[in-house]
Amino acid sequence: MPSSTSSSDPGSVPKGILQREGALPAGLRLTASDRPGQAQPVPTRDVPAQPWGRILIGVLGALIVSAIGLEVNARERIGLHAGDLDNSEIAWSNEKLRAAGAQAAIVGDSRILFDTDLDRFEALTGVRPIQLAIHGTSALTLLENMADDPNFKGVLIVGLADTMFFQPFDGYGGYVKKWHEFRAPYRIVSNEIDHVLQRRIAFLDSNYRLSVLAHRLDRDFRPGVEGPMDDIWKLQEVGEHRATHLWDRVEYDPAWRARTRWAWKGFKEKFPYTPELIANGHARAKAAVDKIRARGGDVVFIRPPSAPQLRVNEEAQVPKAKGWDFLLRNTHSIGIHADDLPVSAHGWNLPEWSHLSRKCATVFTDAYVRRLTELTPRFRLRPDAPPSLSRVDCT
Amino acid sequence: MIFNSLTFLVFFALVLAMHNAPFFSWHQKKINLLVASYLFYAAWNPPFVILLWVSTVVDWWAAQWMVRAKHQRTRKIWMITSVVVNIGMLGYFKYGEFLLENFVTLAASVGIAYQPPKWDIILPVGISFYTFATLSYTLDVYLRRAKPAQHFLDYALFVTFFPHLVAGPIMRPTELVPQFASKRRATAHQLYFGLSLMILGLFQKVVLADGFLSPVVEKVYDAHEGVPMALDAWVATLAFSGQIFCDFAGYSTTAIGVAMCLGFAMPDNFRFPYAAVGFSDFWRRWHITLSSWLRDYLYIPLGGNRHGPVRTYTALMGTMLLGGLWHGAAWTFVVWGGLHGTYLAVERWLRARFAGWTPGPLAFVALGLMTYVLVNITWVFFRAKTFGGASTMLQSMAGLAEKPVPMIALLPMIYAMLIISAIVGTHWWMRDKTLEIAVERTPAWLVGGLLAIMAVAVLAEQGKGSAFIYFQF
Repeated sequence: MPSSTSSSDPGSVPKGILQREGALPAGLRLTASDRPGQAQPVPTRDVPAQPWGRILIGVLGALIVSAIGLEVNARERIGLHAGDLDNSEIAWSNEKLRAAGAQAAIVGDSRILFDTDLDRFEALTGVRPIQLAIHGTSALTLLENMADDPNFKGVLIVGLADTMFFQPFDGYGGYVKKWHEFRAPYRIVSNEIDHVLQRRIAFLDSNYRLSVLAHRLDRDFRPGVEGPMDDIWKLQEVGEHRATHLWDRVEYDPAWRARTRWAWKGFKEKFPYTPELIANGHARAKAAVDKIRARGGDVVFIRPPSAPQLRVNEEAQVPKAKGWDFLLRNTHSIGIHADDLPVSAHGWNLPEWSHLSRKCATVFTDAYVRRLTELTPRFRLRPDAPPSLSRVDCT
Repeated sequence: MIFNSLTFLVFFALVLAMHNAPFFSWHQKKINLLVASYLFYAAWNPPFVILLWVSTVVDWWAAQWMVRAKHQRTRKIWMITSVVVNIGMLGYFKYGEFLLENFVTLAASVGIAYQPPKWDIILPVGISFYTFATLSYTLDVYLRRAKPAQHFLDYALFVTFFPHLVAGPIMRPTELVPQFASKRRATAHQLYFGLSLMILGLFQKVVLADGFLSPVVEKVYDAHEGVPMALDAWVATLAFSGQIFCDFAGYSTTAIGVAMCLGFAMPDNFRFPYAAVGFSDFWRRWHITLSSWLRDYLYIPLGGNRHGPVRTYTALMGTMLLGGLWHGAAWTFVVWGGLHGTYLAVERWLRARFAGWTPGPLAFVALGLMTYVLVNITWVFFRAKTFGGASTMLQSMAGLAEKPVPMIALLPMIYAMLIISAIVGTHWWMRDKTLEIAVERTPAWLVGGLLAIMAVAVLAEQGKGSAFIYFQF
């Protein structure tokens, strides 16, 4: 028996880490592939002769200097802020768990995500809704997800862009349908550690990763290929419990604003919004709304504003009459369209045409929440609610 | 948990501190490591720890009873019990859905419309790895290659030792159990070199595989519309060859580094495979612990090369087909294994036919290049999710696609090709060396500089990435 696993048989136990087998020329050692059909001995691992202590001190120094450099660059040149938490899948699923038994939750795409000021909502009503909207994802998918959650019996605020609502693509729907499977304990813990660090360090932003920045150096050099520059880079800042707003650089930096507008391409891209697709969307929405109401919950719809440059194309693809108006009739729901709010008469500050500026998001929230309290008894204006805001407060 | 997560960073710091704490006895330290390993595994899905326990207990007792048995038949029964329990769990969790789908297809082909209930079983992480590790224990004892472990704690720790638990290297009991016999603690230099290996492994995984190569691969292989041009198809496939290497070798290197920091030695799992000349050479360099496992416990028992050419080729092909299936429950993986089996068979025949021929330097490099290209062809089946997807890729690579479109932007393509060139070049430079020898012969300032660059790159990539590809196997 060439070797043994018996721990009391020292004669057959190879010495281990520093011992060479010596069966091959110097510089090469045997592996299991060289020993067919036999018990494999304890592996040998050499430590190369190097001043490892000094080397690692050097590496540590380089890491510290680089971290400082990255942080200074992120804050001073890029405009990132500490406290901007990544909008991770785990963060969403944490909110999803909190939504069970909550009085109110918000689902939808990036517009309702960016355009709702949760602090303002709470200040007005005493209710802080759970933010479950996901950028690039149809509100319909999220509405159905909440309809399938028997623990949710509150009011679901569904924010939508008509085109996104009826789109044939699921966005993050695949994740939403299987979110439980992503909640491995280590991911939850990593997310918490991440947030602890991100509250203090600005450069820990997934948009600021080395590979992302390197890829974005490509300026569509290759004809016929949409390069990384065509994708939206950083657009939002995320606070605690997914309280999200437009990144301030998009507001103050004209070049950045122009680049983001360009990436939207005016929402001109034609999806096949066939009558069947829209009818299917309405049917799914009605089924989901009915399901929530059947267990005592309710659903209201909000349509945040978009700039005329986008609105014209959105309207061309999904006309308001066929989308929004029919949705409210079909589901017998309350709805607040940005067009219907008096404050809209003065126009909104939509720096990149699709989302409100941070201050304007507060004004919009103020306007739609006050309206909500008029339309549904489920929300009441607090006696000590702050005074209403106007378009002037956007600036 | 995965190595490239902040949770692991905290976990490892705690484990290292406890392992070096002076107030714990060696026995207590082993218990600490065992508990830490269960925590490491439970960090994915706590209930699956039960599978580990089942595997551990069944194989421990199977080996104990095998040794006590007076008749060969009884020994065989215990060996078969171990194989059935382990392969049964693997089969249920990993291949249940695959078998069911194939049964439905087969039934439909003879006109039977069978609609089974939805198969909703999650694959336990690393089950293929620890199943093979524990099986090697009972098989070694059965084959009288090794005595059973004397202490249950040592054996349980061998099965669950967290550095190798979920993605290898697939360790044999004879490699690890003896290391638990006496106190192990890394020297300062072992600790530093272990940390250096972790930096190297994480750089491969986080920066190269996830950061730079994966987006290029996904752009083509996961494209929803359009057929790639030949250039794009080749770049994506070459990028995948780099991604899968950096992902898996990165894991192995990190695992070896982690174990070394704790004072344990783990075997090499890769030996610069893209410098292989021929396919038998490739499999002596790629995923060594798996290929040697398949050789020792499948190919040789199937007859190996001891019963004539027909039996040899059958054993070879059978081993590689099953090796393909080990990687994933899909026919594309079987074809991947089949292609490698075919390559090995052809090479074996050629070696016999031209026994006296020794290639010159040019022929040697040309054969190496041919090996690399043919290995890349097999990666198409490994990465493509369907045969349709694989067929499209192969047509594009052959320049036969109709109306192909460019898919990869210029800079990502250049990055990918630079990385691939660096990987292949490094493999050729290192093909007859170990990493340790190469490091030893390099000036300290250069070693430190390269390590600093890699560590800074991991930091700039924010140390995060997706799960290692091999976890799914």
